[in-house]
Amino acid sequence: MKISTRWLREFAETDRSPAELKSLLVNAGIEVASTAPAAPGLAGAVVAEIEAIERDLGTSRPGHLNRLCRVTTGERRYAVVCGAPNVRPGLRTALAPPGAHLPGGRHIERAMIRGAASEGMLCSERELGIGEDGSGIVELPADAPLGADLVAYLGLDDTLIEVEVTPNRADALSVRGLAREISALTSVALRPLAVDVREGGADASALAAVEILDADLCPRYAARVVTGLAVGPSPPWLAQRLRAAGVRPINNLVDVTNYVLWELGQPLHAFDLDTLRGRRIVVRRARPGERLTTLDDRDRALSPDMLMICDAERPVAVGGVMGGADTEVTPRTTSVLLESACFHPGSIRRTARALGLHTEAAYRFERGTDVESVVVAADRAAQLMADLAGGRVARGAIDRYPVPAARPRIALRPERIQRLIGACPPRAEIIRILRALGFEVADAGSALAVTVPGFRRDTSQEDDLVEEVVRIWGYDKIPATLNPGNQQSVVRRPAGLRTARAVRQALTSSGLTEVVTYSFVDPDRLKQMGCADAVITLQNPQSRERSVLRPALAPGLLEVVGTNLSRQIADVRIFEVGHVFGPHRPEDGDHPAHEELWAGIALTGLRIARAWHTLPAAADVYDAKGGALLVLGAAGVSGVAARPFPPGTGPAYLEPDRAAALEVAGQQIGWFGEVSAAVRDALDLPHPVFLAEVSLSACAEHPAPTPAARPLPRFPAVQRDLAIVVDSGIAAGAVEAAIRAMDVPNLTRLALFDVYQGSQVGTGRRSLAWSLTFQNPQRTLTDQEVNEHHARIVEEISRRFGAEIRGT
Amino acid sequence: MSATSAQEIRDRALAEIAGARSTSELEQIRVRVLGRSGALTGLLRSLGSLSAGERPRVGEAANRVKRELEDAVGARLEVLRAEERRRLRDADRPDLTLPGRHVEPGAVHPVMRVQDEIIEIFEGLGFSVAEGPEVELDYYNFSALNFPDDHPARDMQDTFHLSADTLLRTHTSPVQIRTMKAQRPPVRVICPGKVYRRDADITHSPMFHQVEGLAVDTDITMGDLKGTLDLFAREMFGARSRIRFRPSFFPFTEPSAEVDVLCFLCGGAGCRVCKQDGWLEILGSGMVHPNVLRNVGYDPEEVTGWAFGMGVERVAMLKYGIDDIRLLFENDLRFLAQFAGAA
Repeated sequence: MKISTRWLREFAETDRSPAELKSLLVNAGIEVASTAPAAPGLAGAVVAEIEAIERDLGTSRPGHLNRLCRVTTGERRYAVVCGAPNVRPGLRTALAPPGAHLPGGRHIERAMIRGAASEGMLCSERELGIGEDGSGIVELPADAPLGADLVAYLGLDDTLIEVEVTPNRADALSVRGLAREISALTSVALRPLAVDVREGGADASALAAVEILDADLCPRYAARVVTGLAVGPSPPWLAQRLRAAGVRPINNLVDVTNYVLWELGQPLHAFDLDTLRGRRIVVRRARPGERLTTLDDRDRALSPDMLMICDAERPVAVGGVMGGADTEVTPRTTSVLLESACFHPGSIRRTARALGLHTEAAYRFERGTDVESVVVAADRAAQLMADLAGGRVARGAIDRYPVPAARPRIALRPERIQRLIGACPPRAEIIRILRALGFEVADAGSALAVTVPGFRRDTSQEDDLVEEVVRIWGYDKIPATLNPGNQQSVVRRPAGLRTARAVRQALTSSGLTEVVTYSFVDPDRLKQMGCADAVITLQNPQSRERSVLRPALAPGLLEVVGTNLSRQIADVRIFEVGHVFGPHRPEDGDHPAHEELWAGIALTGLRIARAWHTLPAAADVYDAKGGALLVLGAAGVSGVAARPFPPGTGPAYLEPDRAAALEVAGQQIGWFGEVSAAVRDALDLPHPVFLAEVSLSACAEHPAPTPAARPLPRFPAVQRDLAIVVDSGIAAGAVEAAIRAMDVPNLTRLALFDVYQGSQVGTGRRSLAWSLTFQNPQRTLTDQEVNEHHARIVEEISRRFGAEIRGT
Repeated sequence: MSATSAQEIRDRALAEIAGARSTSELEQIRVRVLGRSGALTGLLRSLGSLSAGERPRVGEAANRVKRELEDAVGARLEVLRAEERRRLRDADRPDLTLPGRHVEPGAVHPVMRVQDEIIEIFEGLGFSVAEGPEVELDYYNFSALNFPDDHPARDMQDTFHLSADTLLRTHTSPVQIRTMKAQRPPVRVICPGKVYRRDADITHSPMFHQVEGLAVDTDITMGDLKGTLDLFAREMFGARSRIRFRPSFFPFTEPSAEVDVLCFLCGGAGCRVCKQDGWLEILGSGMVHPNVLRNVGYDPEEVTGWAFGMGVERVAMLKYGIDDIRLLFENDLRFLAQFAGAA
């Protein structure tokens, strides 16, 4: 909300500078987005009149007829070329003569335009920087003083303060409300609101009637009737204040309602009284099937929970939101019924949202307006209309207020301030602050008895008053202290967070970089990846690409791979740790969705960065498996088995025979593998990509046992190598499992150290070599017994796998 | 004849020893002179054939020559060994400017790095860590936190909905409720995690991270909040850092405060980072609203508490000079690589 400091000073006569006002407001909880001159860069423009149009200079572009005008400022005449369509003799307007400055650093000089000498420029609102209208030159009233400085005449020697008011402070959404803050902050008096309505003619109640049928949604409705009006433009000072606030001036009647809205915070609506059937206002909920064409010329279907302002027959306005087109003020209007009412905030909010009508009125009503100032606002507007449009205010205000609201009383204990804040202003200062803010304070007994005015209904309990006192007193007076607490307790950290940190450390140390991707993914991408079942969809996503919660980390990781590849980064080694989402399961309790913490890895391009000491090698599925094992190790899980997925059982985005499940104690806790060619094609990933995903939540169910130390062996170990050549189809893991199953005595370690495939072993065959360690804790093994064990193993392996032994 | 012979052996051997070019050549000389069938050994062996009168003199002379030659060989050997070692090392001198042999470490994501840093600071102050679900019930995210239905306060956090009563949490504050419902005071926790709002521009992301802080006890004041955050700011942004409290509004705190930190770039004078303001807004905070305490079954006359919530991205952007939040979620490796190395 932008407001004029001159306007503000009409209510609180402070001499503080705009910068000081800004600082005061900010430190009292009213955000100030900006302070800026009302007409930055404007100087030297004056009020002038077009005396005559001397000649046409031709069209410079379609609809832009240049004319040489004779313009007078009273003291001297100017020849000015102007292309505005509304140029006409007798019009008083803004002249920027040679030497004047316009916004944007524009300096006006004599110029030749289409063969004519032009002494300056006639200006539009936009050119003057005072409004949005650039369609023609400014039209000033016929009594605008010729030669007067435009800045002074329009009251532009002003600073605009743009404030941002938090949703609890409806009272601050007006010039008077902000003046009240300034008054409390500077101890300058707030000018009392006294409206002297000069009434005449008939009683209002004889000219119109008001009836509230649904008082739950409209606790109070007041109306004033003004007759004998002549619709016309508003005076420049008023129009200018509206423009500065960002409101387009329309005519003197509508402008008055907006002016009072800005001044007092009470939304008003002016009906053309002669269009109200039965000259009657009925406040009620909409009836089934009723429709209304609103001021924006849109026909709207109404629902029965919406509050309507109706005449004797039909809705004429969406109560507190927007008026109807049929009953609006037009240039022919002579009598108005001026509405000043109070509506139920929640109802206004629901209606405004349902209709998509976020008007200034709805904005204020949904925050809660002052039920007590309904009549004074109507009085102020009625009198202004009479003053500006020559009307007469009918006698008396119509005021329907079935159940007047009592002012709440709250006890405020200064000890409560001390207890909450750690400091407390003197009692007299507490009372001064509260009174300056509009509260009534009775100082009797130990607690203060505080009565809450109508405009501060956000204040409902003692702590609310504590905040009011302290924010005006100054948050800078709050001491900085440290309370160590009454009771020391052990600092706890969730297992997931600990594991995530260990995973991060392990994977970054082995050359992977952490990424953080959005939790929402593209359902089409999921479908392409074959993981589209049982996902959670957002009701109101920002885009389809981010509309479902990720069921796995893979989609996000592949997106990052794609992004980097498209930026010529060919080697991508990344991981992410984060939640994945699925539908609620019984074990989730009151967590509405099933959430698991996962770690995921994606690799493409080189295994490690090119280095002088290592031949470049492409990452492969073993790097993905290695990464997964690092994750499991960091999560404290041991005894992991990799089991190739039987066809059709693994994640759909992995190549069926290049993917394996990772299992602990028979439970699947993750997988690794190569991204399928079909998915790579769909996602436009030209090179092989390898993935691993591990559920850290599942890992937490297999906590690492506390290590139990064993004595160091006292007798030497014996090493033997076992090198065999088998068909390539035979899995090393199967051979290893077979050896382990033999339960060979004293065989303490079995480690694969070489795999070879090539001409030396023949096609379709490969060589595998293990190092075997034999050791007995009680004695030294003899060569003979080790040889016997080794021979047994060789025999078994040869028999089971058709292995051919390569030396020993 | 024999005595001259020893002298001759000595003279020749010394010359040879001095002229030896390598340890192996020297060894050959040693064997030739002092070895089992060497010249001097032969001479010593032949002593038996001398007369008893000559034997001591000749024997003594030969033994003297033997010791002398052994010393000469030893000395020469040391010289030659040193020379040879030097030649060997010269031939295979390492280039110590070559990069070391190790895997180039990757980077921790800057947001995670800052989040960990924040957690560590508060753990050091005795705060436990609590977590909660990212998909939340409206009750925990709003109602229990004193957001009335149909109140514009709900517009402060534009919400992603999953159904009428479930949503993506818009802040980590629901963890406050879950924590307080699960335990009696005193409470001292911080709650890190992802949060979601329907927002997107260079300073707002639809997903971001928050760290919530909560302390509830019998005598907690807003002064303690100020003291704690003051300590935090100095740990996070440097010892010269200062904070400022401004009144604000959050439905779940009363009184509420926005907290600004003195711009660490300009020290308050005004610059591009702080938009000429001198201060940088880093978090929202306040005293836990009595309605919230009542909602979790605490008595606001018995206990008081403070809470704060800070955006991790905001802190990371300020700390690392990142001017567009979207960079944090694009995951361009050239961007992320800048955060490799120890925190």
